[in-house]
Amino acid sequence: MTNAMRVSGLTKTYQDFVLDHVSFTVPGGAIVGLIGENGAGKSTTINAALGLIQKEDGVVSFLDREELDGDIKEQIGVVFDGSNYPEILSPRKLNRVLKNIYRTWDERVYFSLMKQFSLPADKRIKQFSRGMKMKLAICAAFSHHCRLLILDEATSGLDPVVRDDILDMLLDFVQDEGHSILLSSHITSDLEKIADYIVFIHAGKVVFEKPKDELTDQYGIIKCGAAQFDALDHSDIISYRKMDYEWQILVSDREAMQKKYPKALVVPATIDEIMLLYVKGEK
Amino acid sequence: MKGVLVKDLYIARSNILVTIVSLVVLGFGLSFLLETSALLVLAPVAATTAAFISITSDAASKWNKNVITMPVSREQIIGEKFLFYILLAVLGMFTALVPCVVIACLGADVTLFSLCLYGSIGMSATLLAGGISLPCAYLFDPEKSQIVFMMSFMASTGIITGLVLLINFIFPVKEHILFSFHIVLVIAVIWFVISYKIAVKVYRKRDIT
Repeated sequence: MTNAMRVSGLTKTYQDFVLDHVSFTVPGGAIVGLIGENGAGKSTTINAALGLIQKEDGVVSFLDREELDGDIKEQIGVVFDGSNYPEILSPRKLNRVLKNIYRTWDERVYFSLMKQFSLPADKRIKQFSRGMKMKLAICAAFSHHCRLLILDEATSGLDPVVRDDILDMLLDFVQDEGHSILLSSHITSDLEKIADYIVFIHAGKVVFEKPKDELTDQYGIIKCGAAQFDALDHSDIISYRKMDYEWQILVSDREAMQKKYPKALVVPATIDEIMLLYVKGEK
Repeated sequence: MKGVLVKDLYIARSNILVTIVSLVVLGFGLSFLLETSALLVLAPVAATTAAFISITSDAASKWNKNVITMPVSREQIIGEKFLFYILLAVLGMFTALVPCVVIACLGADVTLFSLCLYGSIGMSATLLAGGISLPCAYLFDPEKSQIVFMMSFMASTGIITGLVLLINFIFPVKEHILFSFHIVLVIAVIWFVISYKIAVKVYRKRDIT
């Protein structure tokens, strides 16, 4: 398997928003983080890719197949923001529902994961905390032996401990090289921990699609004054922002910049800072 | 589709039990006042309220968004809801038959004619109402679809009256009363099937968010 998911030229127009020819890939065995501010188009991209909303243009393929039929859906696990299961059900009843939906449903795996994550089988879902609901949704996704897991803002609103538990679940899942994850989130610290690639969406367009290590190891921010800023070669600048007491300049190769401008203070950039400078900075 | 039906049965279980008990109690209670078989008019209509409880629950939990990502097609999602509706109507009908049969065994006058007549009227009203309200449940938000649901039963009685008056132009209904209501039932079944086709067509292109 080369790509678990490939999105090419995905377009959807609303009155006040356009998802504009979004393209990216989720390589097999990788975790791809889809980042962007609220309203950037992350959920629209996922919804259009999964056929929840009608796309106007573009091609989406899952596991090297363009048709999203039942066989492919068996191999895709989707976790949304909120569990989206009827809250009147208990996990045990949900098992009876899902085993009649998925041919590949494995209730042994389901109950063993439930036990592993200390989820009560007979308590109604409405009595679950948000973190428990998320864990349940991930357990359900794993229990039909999915090869691609798609999470849309699944870690938003969770406390750091639960988020860490969920990130561990995801890391365990990709230990199998045939498994891949697309994780949309605006909590970039989570993605810094686990993602292999970052796709940044802003105002409905893909700004970049890069390996995470390239962003964290090579990108940097030059922090300087006005005089130093004026002396910079503008072709080195990706974007810049004038703060109260300094200029912040995003550059793609911090070591090269440090050599080129030895007097400048060049610091590593976090994904959060990169995102902020792309969105709020000038070019 | 079976899994989605199991889910709806779980959601509507308590409502179904209450409906069954109420219909049986009402059936025996009615026997002192009027013909018990008249319960067959009310029973399928009352039983199908559980379908709307499941639709409301689906909307509240955003289940429709989740289920589309599962190996269930949009056609199957709609088909299951229509099937669930019919199953509830039939269940209501059979439940209402219980007091009728018991009372008939005790010597009361329950005729096959009255069972067929009231059964036809009840099923016609249920299918006509479902044919209006089920597609609307997927077109409108839950509040509006609940209003449509209530209005649909009123509309269905109006449609039945209209159809009977229309049939009366062709032949006198009073002389062929059972046959007339069987024609109404056939029209209601056709309407329900057309409504299913329309709902599938609408839902296939609908954005689910």
